[in-house]
Amino acid sequence: MIENPENNFSPQQSLQLIESMINRAKDKYAEDGFMYLLWGWLVFACSIMQFVLLHVFGYTYHYIVWLATIPVFIYQAYYVKKKRRRQKAVTYADSIISYVWITFAIVIFLLCFLVGPLTSGEYYTHIVHILLAIYGMPVFLTGVVIKFKPLIYGGIACWVLCILSTFIKVYDYQFLCVPAAMLAAWIIPGYLLRAKYKSQ
Amino acid sequence: MFKDLDPILHSQLRLAVMSLLISVKQAEFTFLKEKTNSTAGNLSVQIQKLKEAGYIEVIKEFKDNYPNTTCKITAKGIKAFEEYVKSLQQYLQVKK
Repeated sequence: MIENPENNFSPQQSLQLIESMINRAKDKYAEDGFMYLLWGWLVFACSIMQFVLLHVFGYTYHYIVWLATIPVFIYQAYYVKKKRRRQKAVTYADSIISYVWITFAIVIFLLCFLVGPLTSGEYYTHIVHILLAIYGMPVFLTGVVIKFKPLIYGGIACWVLCILSTFIKVYDYQFLCVPAAMLAAWIIPGYLLRAKYKSQ
Repeated sequence: MFKDLDPILHSQLRLAVMSLLISVKQAEFTFLKEKTNSTAGNLSVQIQKLKEAGYIEVIKEFKDNYPNTTCKITAKGIKAFEEYVKSLQQYLQVKK
């Protein structure tokens, strides 16, 4: 397209060139939804299993199911590294989103240590509300940055579920808000993102 | 009227590169080559000129054992680009 390296082009052509390049730089949907689906289904399965262990079997160490997240964390580190290698340009949106998720991961990680001492051992009665409030944040922000409404609604759904969970008095049933949040915030938007990615 | 236009930017390929770099945080040489449909030789020369003007930063590193060049616009480059667009707008307004 750029055949004429000379400087004899008009201001109109200049503006057209700038516009067309800016449009070309707008990356196609780089997000294929894979990570949303992987984590969405994992957390969905873990929270259902935890509910079954707790409610049906009355198993004391019901939280052990969350150990399944460790290999997925390791796999994710590998996946992100591989994806970075393929990526030829980094947009500002990519960069903001990755920092939002890093912040989210750090906050969750810190909470694992802090929530116990902070709530003087009664942490299990608050954990679901706190998690739901935090889950909504990266999903909502990613939705805003990439202008993808299902993620925005998903983030809001987490916060609505957070409020709803405070009305559920039986602690066991509060856990069921987590798989519901996963469906609304990660799994459904994940499939929609994948469909959008494939259709472009 | 044209004399106000920055000669470094008023060149099709250099302007194309700057427009791409203003839109992204950083881009690899192959990305710029693909989007501008230019030859590697010509693109290298123009990138060098933009670098000498201080409009872009060029990072050369190895990726999977192959040399890889990444370009980033600098603060000076952003300012020059904005000035250039302002001049274009002024020119078009005068013409109206």
